[in-house]
Amino acid sequence: MSAISEFLAAKDIWRDPLLASVIAGGLCGFLGVYVVLRRTVFVSAALTQLSTLGLICALLAEEALHIEVEHAGVQLAVAIVFSVAGALVLGALQARRRLPAEAGVGIAYVVAGALVVLGANRLVHAAHDLNAMVFGNAVAVPFSDVVVLAVVALVCVAVHAVFAKELIFTSFDAETAAALGYSTRTWNGLLYFTIGLAIPAAARALGALPVFAFLTIPASAALLVTKRLRSTFALATALGLLAAAGGYALSWIWQLPTGATMVALAGLFVLPGAILKEGRG
Amino acid sequence: MVTDAGTPSPRSEPGAAGSKGALLALEGATIGYDSPLLEGVDLAIPADDFLAVVGPNGGGKTTILRTLLGVLPPLAGARLQSAPVRTGYVPQRDHVDAYWPLTVADVTLMGRYPRLGVGRRPGSGDRAEVERALARVGIADLAHRSFRTLSGGQRQRTLIARALAASPELLALDEPTNGMDPAAELSAMVILRDLHRQGGLAVVMVSHRLEAVANYARRLAFADKDKGLWRVGPLEEMLTPEALSALYGRAVTVREEGGRRFVYPEGGGERA
Repeated sequence: MSAISEFLAAKDIWRDPLLASVIAGGLCGFLGVYVVLRRTVFVSAALTQLSTLGLICALLAEEALHIEVEHAGVQLAVAIVFSVAGALVLGALQARRRLPAEAGVGIAYVVAGALVVLGANRLVHAAHDLNAMVFGNAVAVPFSDVVVLAVVALVCVAVHAVFAKELIFTSFDAETAAALGYSTRTWNGLLYFTIGLAIPAAARALGALPVFAFLTIPASAALLVTKRLRSTFALATALGLLAAAGGYALSWIWQLPTGATMVALAGLFVLPGAILKEGRG
Repeated sequence: MVTDAGTPSPRSEPGAAGSKGALLALEGATIGYDSPLLEGVDLAIPADDFLAVVGPNGGGKTTILRTLLGVLPPLAGARLQSAPVRTGYVPQRDHVDAYWPLTVADVTLMGRYPRLGVGRRPGSGDRAEVERALARVGIADLAHRSFRTLSGGQRQRTLIARALAASPELLALDEPTNGMDPAAELSAMVILRDLHRQGGLAVVMVSHRLEAVANYARRLAFADKDKGLWRVGPLEEMLTPEALSALYGRAVTVREEGGRRFVYPEGGGERA
């Protein structure tokens, strides 16, 4: 039996993880357009780190309370609280400009990263799970996580469909938007809220590293070849979805680490646009 | 000294006398972010005004504009606005990120957004306004060009068209000719003058180049936070050696050549 037919025969095993990967990849690909165009790539890295910190805090609390059974919903909820709170704080810091925006993001990233290491060091039972959560090894994703991810994706899609023009305007030219009466703080907050919501849900399915990658690479690849914003959003979503699905399938067939395969495949998508741009000079 | 010479001083005529009939006004305003930059700013913008606020970079001009538009609250004093004012705003060109994959028409359409309300999408009427606005600044043929591929002058026209797409009563511009070559600067100022002459539009612009605005504005304001200077009045009153030396801290000559005014600081041979 070939590797491909073996893969197809194991549909019941990979159906839910693949579905979760596809939703997470598409969602991160879409939101990544804002992340890249607003030059806030490291905001997504910091939020991913904060989301992981939330997860560790939940695991530490479970161990401290001697809770034997893992409460995935509680862990995810805590991760979402950390990520959304971080998103809103970083968004507010960008608006205030008391410090260069990058400084706040950098501080959040390294401090959260350090706390993740310290927290992981104190974990006794769940340390092995954490490695998969951080670096991505989405072999097994329970159906409940798929449902949570789908709900998060629906919320994000609804917000971005209804408020597209406000989010685009305040992101593209905040100064003019403010002069015309838009509350840029509110709209930035809403945008960061959706990003902060998506990151922990996607990270649970894909792992933190692939989420950071999917918030950056598909949008960058799409921006290299598209001339209209609508096309950029569509292509970035499609590339995120394709990299997640393709990476998952290839990692299964070639027995490779899932998250890393997804990221490497997404990286390949940048090449055509980069070569095309280079050719045009 | 801080007075609005273009309108009666609130100190001599208390209340909103200077702002009666004005679209927007500041009365005794202290402007700044966390700490005061300028105090006692009086300024009223009548419906047919063409005001240029001039001063050195970092002198508080943009802060005055932002306070006037209501983006920034005055730290003291009052900002007066009797009715909603349809405003078009043109930011400094390099403050707008040209990397976004947007066409000229996409950017211009954003000028219509405040009129649509939250969550509502633009319709055919809005697109017709966009075409009209692009035609008014002479770039109707660029509607489907990518904003990122435009020259500096074309981008500036696009931003002016976006402001016009709002069918504004007030057009506010922040350093609209910054970084432009002389030909593009002249072209941009002629567009603004012509738009103002068509009527129904007040223009308030900020510029650090007095010479760029001296031939177009009806009123001038000088702002310099380091000198505590805020003075505003009709062009003829402001282009006097006394008023100009208060702004530049040295003797300044204004010459008219071929129907155009040129401003020369004395002793240096450089134009202001």
